[in-house]
Amino acid sequence: METINRKNQNVKNGLLLFGFFFKIGCFTFGGGWSILAQMEQEFVNKKKWITKEELLDLTAVGKSVPGIMITNISMLFGYQIGGWFGGVCAVLGITCPAVLILSAVAYGYDSLKSNYWCHCALEGIRTAVVPIIGSAALSLGKEIFRTTKGRVVCGAAFLFCLFTDISNVVMVLIGIVAALLIPDGQIEKMKEKIKNAKEAAKHGVS
Amino acid sequence: MEYLELFLSFMKIGFTSFGGMSMIPLILEEMQTHRWMSAEDLTNLVAIAEMTPGPLGINCATFAGMQTAGVPGGIIAVTGVLMPAFTLTLLVAVFFTKFRKSRLMEKIMSYVKPICIAMILAVILTLSRENYITDGKPDLIGIGIGLGMLYLIQKRKWSVPKVIGCSAGLGVILYGMIFRMPVL
Repeated sequence: METINRKNQNVKNGLLLFGFFFKIGCFTFGGGWSILAQMEQEFVNKKKWITKEELLDLTAVGKSVPGIMITNISMLFGYQIGGWFGGVCAVLGITCPAVLILSAVAYGYDSLKSNYWCHCALEGIRTAVVPIIGSAALSLGKEIFRTTKGRVVCGAAFLFCLFTDISNVVMVLIGIVAALLIPDGQIEKMKEKIKNAKEAAKHGVS
Repeated sequence: MEYLELFLSFMKIGFTSFGGMSMIPLILEEMQTHRWMSAEDLTNLVAIAEMTPGPLGINCATFAGMQTAGVPGGIIAVTGVLMPAFTLTLLVAVFFTKFRKSRLMEKIMSYVKPICIAMILAVILTLSRENYITDGKPDLIGIGIGLGMLYLIQKRKWSVPKVIGCSAGLGVILYGMIFRMPVL
């Protein structure tokens, strides 16, 4: 009896999660962080299923796993509430609206593209895409550029992008290998050494 | 066969990025090596993914898949991009209490994230060449609108859908009514 009740509870929670994340998928613009704010409101403040600290823990872990951050967090959160079924429900819930909405958009896209006025509007939108991506990169980079390691790795990777044909996937793999091989604090130490050497050279000259 | 390739491509994209804009360079590369999509279509893809609700990464994957192989393509692409969530993250969820103490993943991401940022910066160069230069000449109207939008986002803190709406309006007025852009 106990296990049956538990199973029913899991199914119920799974459907609830699907519903909540489906709603988020339908109405949220602006991605990850605004979704987290909504999760906090619904599950921390209203339903009290988890505490704020737990949600922060989930976010920290979800951010450090590859893949789309918000689906990772949905998976971790769903698993906490309703086992693997809950996790899958949450991820599917957030994905389904996108598939439905974009099916409609893709259906109209080709005919829109050949209409003169729509073509002009798209041409205008295209000029805004570079500033949009650039601003996103800046806000993503803010946290990363604060550390020496972030700046060094980003700079080196940018040079590789510009002057070599190494594919993006290979570059990320190189990054993973570097993370495994380079001990903590090594890059900072090297910077310190270079700085010291420079100072010494300066003193030598003068 | 194309479906399998699409699935593998997007699985690769999913495992080597962390969602949102960090996926754009990888999508562009996959689309161009398979000749599925041009850089122009990719720019439109970003605009469409930003204009529709839901997480950017999911929208990008779905639309790219649909442009390549219709609605089944979209479903396959999004499944591919969700593979990390269904495998790695599920595993992490099971061992959550243990994983929280392990710093390995965090360390890996501290290298992967700056690399992704660098890739985004490189893509910005590619897309700028594509969007602001037509037939070897700089498109002054485009550069003007672009700079205006940059100002609105950075200084006026406009939200992205608003910026897209505004640039669409300017496109209709400037390209359509004033300069009468030729139909392609």
